[in-house]
Amino acid sequence: MSAALALARRELSSLLRTPAGWIIAALYAFLTTAVFALRTLDPGQPASMRFFFATAASLLAVVMPAVSMRLLAEEARAGTLEPLLTSPASHGSIIVGKFAGVLAYTALMLLPTLALVVTLIAVSDRAPDPGPIIAGYLSLMLVAALYLALGTLTSACTSSQTLAFLAAFLIAVGHLIGTAQLAPRLPEPASSWIAASAINPRVADFARGIIDLKHVAFFIIWTAWLLVLATVALARRRITP
Amino acid sequence: MIEAFDLHKSYGPAHRAVHALRGLSVSLRTGTVTGLLGPNGAGKSTSIRLLTGRLIADRGTVTIAGRDINREPARARASIGYLPESAPLYPEMTPAGYLAHRAALSGMPRRGRSRAIAATLSRCDIADVRRRRIGTLSKGYRQRVALAAALIHDPPVLILDEPTTGLDPAQVAQLRALIEELARDRTVLLSSHVLAEVEQTCDRILIIAGGELRADGTPDELATRAAQDRPAIYHAEYRAGASRLSDLRNLPGITEADETDLPADYRRITLRAEPGTPDLREPIAAALVGCVVRELTRQRPTLEDAFAQLSGGAPIARRTPPRSAKHEPAATS
Repeated sequence: MSAALALARRELSSLLRTPAGWIIAALYAFLTTAVFALRTLDPGQPASMRFFFATAASLLAVVMPAVSMRLLAEEARAGTLEPLLTSPASHGSIIVGKFAGVLAYTALMLLPTLALVVTLIAVSDRAPDPGPIIAGYLSLMLVAALYLALGTLTSACTSSQTLAFLAAFLIAVGHLIGTAQLAPRLPEPASSWIAASAINPRVADFARGIIDLKHVAFFIIWTAWLLVLATVALARRRITP
Repeated sequence: MIEAFDLHKSYGPAHRAVHALRGLSVSLRTGTVTGLLGPNGAGKSTSIRLLTGRLIADRGTVTIAGRDINREPARARASIGYLPESAPLYPEMTPAGYLAHRAALSGMPRRGRSRAIAATLSRCDIADVRRRRIGTLSKGYRQRVALAAALIHDPPVLILDEPTTGLDPAQVAQLRALIEELARDRTVLLSSHVLAEVEQTCDRILIIAGGELRADGTPDELATRAAQDRPAIYHAEYRAGASRLSDLRNLPGITEADETDLPADYRRITLRAEPGTPDLREPIAAALVGCVVRELTRQRPTLEDAFAQLSGGAPIARRTPPRSAKHEPAATS
């Protein structure tokens, strides 16, 4: 536990001390603000952040692989994986610690978008319902956790940050496109299976204020499963350097 | 403190596997500094990675401070302080922050960490840069930060891979003194390409080549072993009315003898004896009775010779200025 906390702290402080962490956060803030300004601040429309959450969740498919790509790949490249793997910390605590660090960073990265909520409240005749907004942010954290776990897995499999990013990005974006575009064109039962794994409809439900435990369980189970795979991938580094 | 038995490790698919280590067995006691030598590709890095638990052996066991590294990995690894070859660090962290991070990773209780960090910073002479970013430090400082990280949890076993890389001569001497101090109640394994450093620091030397342990002994024992298979060479400088070359050439065991004239009527004679011949300095001195002898030495094989012979490879880098061999002065003159 102490090792996982130490690793989480280090990951978070590393992202806050390096330009990459600030660039990613600034880029995400810029894109989400642009979407908010162009589509949500539409005069005459109801005060709702549904479109914002849908777009912000989709953007995470690009941003989260960039955040997580360095987690283990960079450690392997720089040689800092040596002291890490020869420390008493278990593989599981290394993965959980690093994942927790980038998840905490993501929470901080989402924090500035609360200014958009404040703006919407300020400019709306009728204040927006807080339930969908809270549920929407919960959905963003769940989606971010899922993509970060995917990025942790790809980062554990390679010593190249670029490969780790590309693999996580292609899987995440491919899944988004596949579930939205491919599933309706496939015969049953393949269509249902693929549609059942879709992320966007779940985010849409959250953005309507529906916190369905099935959706929550979906994200938690997949995140945990990907972290288990990442732990196995890290353990395999003890067989070949 | 470090026990390794029948360690095997190969890389790659089974049909074209590269065997990096073939049956390494060693036992390293507390209170000794052991040097690990070997040419590039000999299996040194693999050995260190297996001993530190970084890699899992295909076969064989490693026990650190009585704990099997595969059965009790956390406890065994908690007993190791490891300085990897490239001294990997996080450039954005400060030395104090990095030591706090490593202390937490090693499972040190929160209470006492601050004191341990202060003591280690001071011991490794990096207290003055404790708040500077590691990325801005010189190579020597970074090396010492990495060493401090290996020492922070006060481990009973230290494994140091090229610990003097980037250090200046004064820092090398300091580090040697620190290793000697640490080794009093610890097991220290040191891998280095600098033979002079190994010779001066280590009580025992392991030579690995082709994935196998080729030699194990004190520096003197290894040099003596090398001497058994090499011709002994003697040098003498003397002044006499007539040359003594023919007398010296007839000494038992002498295979070659050369003489050159030096200024002031001195002559320099070089004698080569068969391998295994007993020390000939006394018979040579006896043959030179009546002469003024200003030098009589026997050229002894060095650790470098022993390394080249026992590893079957070329000699590796020296730090000291090149000198072909050690010379023992004559017992008589």
